[in-house]
Amino acid sequence: MKDFKSEKKKILIVEDERVNLELLKIVLQNDYEILTAEDGTRALDLIDNESSLSLVLLDLNLPDMSGMDILKGMSESEKLDNLPVIVLTAEKEAEVESLNIGASDFISKPYPRPEVIKARVNRTIELSEGRMIIGQTENDSLTGLYTREYFYSYCDRYDTKHPDTEMDALVVNINHFHFINERYGRKYADEVLQRIAEKIQAHVDEHGGLASRREADNFVVYTPHITDYTSLLEDISEGASGDGKDESIVRLRMGVYPKVDKNLEIERRFDRAKMASDTVRSTFTKAIAIYDNALHESSQFSEQLLIDFSRAIEEEQFVVHYQPKYDIRGDEMVLSSAEALVRWKHPEFGLVSPGVFIDLFEKNGLIQQLDSYVWRSSARQISEWKNVLGISVPVSVNVSRVDMFDPSLVDDIDSLIAEFDLNHGDLILEVTESAYTEDSEHIIGTVQELRDRGFFIEMDDFGSGYSSLNMLSNLPIDALKLDMQFIRSAFKNGKNTRMLEIVIEIAESLNVPVIAEGVETAEQLFTLKQMGCDIVQGYYFSKPVPENEFEEFLIEKQEKGSDEIRVERNKYRKLAHDRHVYDAMHDPVTGLYNGSAFDFLIYDSDKDHTALLLIELSNYDEISKAKGSSAANRSVIRAAEMLRDVFRASDFICRLKNDEVGVILSRIDSSHREIIEGKIHQFKEAVASDEQGVSGISINYGLVFGDEENEPDLFKAADRALKTKKN
Amino acid sequence: MITIDALKEFGANTEEGLTRCMGMEEFYIQLVGTMLNDANFEKLDSAVEAGDAVAAFEAAHALKGALGNLSLTPICDPVSEITERLRGQTEMPDLSDVMPKYKEALERLKAL
Repeated sequence: MKDFKSEKKKILIVEDERVNLELLKIVLQNDYEILTAEDGTRALDLIDNESSLSLVLLDLNLPDMSGMDILKGMSESEKLDNLPVIVLTAEKEAEVESLNIGASDFISKPYPRPEVIKARVNRTIELSEGRMIIGQTENDSLTGLYTREYFYSYCDRYDTKHPDTEMDALVVNINHFHFINERYGRKYADEVLQRIAEKIQAHVDEHGGLASRREADNFVVYTPHITDYTSLLEDISEGASGDGKDESIVRLRMGVYPKVDKNLEIERRFDRAKMASDTVRSTFTKAIAIYDNALHESSQFSEQLLIDFSRAIEEEQFVVHYQPKYDIRGDEMVLSSAEALVRWKHPEFGLVSPGVFIDLFEKNGLIQQLDSYVWRSSARQISEWKNVLGISVPVSVNVSRVDMFDPSLVDDIDSLIAEFDLNHGDLILEVTESAYTEDSEHIIGTVQELRDRGFFIEMDDFGSGYSSLNMLSNLPIDALKLDMQFIRSAFKNGKNTRMLEIVIEIAESLNVPVIAEGVETAEQLFTLKQMGCDIVQGYYFSKPVPENEFEEFLIEKQEKGSDEIRVERNKYRKLAHDRHVYDAMHDPVTGLYNGSAFDFLIYDSDKDHTALLLIELSNYDEISKAKGSSAANRSVIRAAEMLRDVFRASDFICRLKNDEVGVILSRIDSSHREIIEGKIHQFKEAVASDEQGVSGISINYGLVFGDEENEPDLFKAADRALKTKKN
Repeated sequence: MITIDALKEFGANTEEGLTRCMGMEEFYIQLVGTMLNDANFEKLDSAVEAGDAVAAFEAAHALKGALGNLSLTPICDPVSEITERLRGQTEMPDLSDVMPKYKEALERLKAL
């Protein structure tokens, strides 16, 4: 006996044009049993007598009668209630008219793609059978809004009833809803949802349309077009936190797809609204986003990139660039390795940044192909450098989360090593921290296996995920690579490097070296070095460059007498221990930065936004003679403490000579002159009235602002100012 | 003989047409053959000759849909034009500029 479920549904195609009929048959015959009628009389006969029809596809131009008349007849005899009709027509007016009479949908001529035809036929049948919504309740028990499935089908019905109304699709979300759930409890979170639902319902009661809580904190609204949703969002937000609660607890974001294209499937319309809403997910200033042309283009752009991907692989449009990594532990910075970074030379769009395509490819798994492309290119390059230049430089490559689930990963990478006659240490593997935290057991197993074969593993983007210390201590890794975000935020708006310090301490406790990426200025480099960072990469040294440019780094290195750059595990481990040996940037007596630190910092400073203050303790020698050099040094230390009190944490205080201190003030120009002079005055007052310090310091100073100095060397200019003042 | 290349040469958007045929070339070519035998071509000609605007519209309209589905652009375009001129007319409008275009294209297709 035939299985009921596998039995094909019967559909009737009413169409007199042979070509059109054949086209529909070829598209639909695999999924449906097809009956055909070439005129209205035969069609009516079948409709009346075939009890098991699921759908009629109806051409409006028939030789003996108009399709519209058939539709009208079916509508009047209430046949349409059980048997849905999709109208086939080339006329826009007819589409609307037929929907008014009761057709469920229409397919225009020329026909859309076969997939579209199938989807529409399928959906119409499903809707008419109520199959999509069997077992579903119509209303969400918490908020009373429609449930997802009912919502979509009612949107369709709404369109049928209001074919000429311009509609907007809205998505409303609560920012960090899970946080509210955790922090304030489920009961409170539920009440928040109810309050929001109430306001949304009030809007559709007034303006028309319908609303649903699609899931969790995700509300969708289908409502006649209005131009501005600011007041609706304000209205919903107001009081959403509840009586007496801080309003900022519940922050909402809204995505609007205005004047929806009704040819687009209903779910896709809300996808667009969601896409808009996602653009304001993490911004605090903007809570409403519109799906506009720019967003449309960007989503089309993404789609285009996905389409172009395989061709790009075939035609080697992806190029690998190399960014040098420097070992900064010693006085001299030494090239230690490189990171391979991919660029896309797109024939149409030019150089496409990985920021655009990596996320995209990660989402749909294409990243796996791209990763192995980069591994192969890098392996080939390492081998070429070995053979041609006689130099061996390790290159690190990214291993994405999806790669880790490929059972052949370990063997695949291993065979690359063999194919290009490399050592395992030549190809360093970077695994992102977040990969470890999801499904960590599996990932750890794979990483362990890779290490057993001899590979070095760097944990990438460390600090961006949520690894617990406990978990970290068990991880098989050879280095931690700091998330670029840490470097950025640590040096933004003054200097707050506390978080950076903590992360480096964690690395220290794990006994692995720390790599910092995204280092852009001498100040950052210097601070990282002070904190104990071992290896650094970033624009301060070089941007990622093509292999021929990277060769220059190698040749330079070679000329300094080393033809092998090798990271060995023991050495790597050792790095972690002796990082504190380094102190060449400090004055050993006062603990202030010393002259070489000063050179370093002043050289890199942005002259137009830097001021330099030179302070001379004019009676240093006298104090030293009268009370001994340690007393004189204590005066310097005391003076430095006072300088620190007066100036900002981000200003650098350096001891340049026994009796001279330089203060580098960054992000300062001559418009701040009064403020700075006020601070100097404050400082001098403090020195004069100091009771616990060594008395009798007398101060001379020279102050220059980079933006008004012609002299390129700020130190010279400040020195001159100091001497002028003295005379 | 009708081939995909010949149709392309003729000016058909074969890529689009083939998509509607689920990529099946033979099926596409077969449907082009079916199209050539469409009775509506004759109906259109005789209705125009007889000055029957309503009958001419019906034939042109039917042809337009099928030609569009096969993406036979060089014929579809003039036939669409004819359809539009006939739409809602009871008197035969002047078609002397477009009729030869459509016929010429049809002859070219038949000659493949």
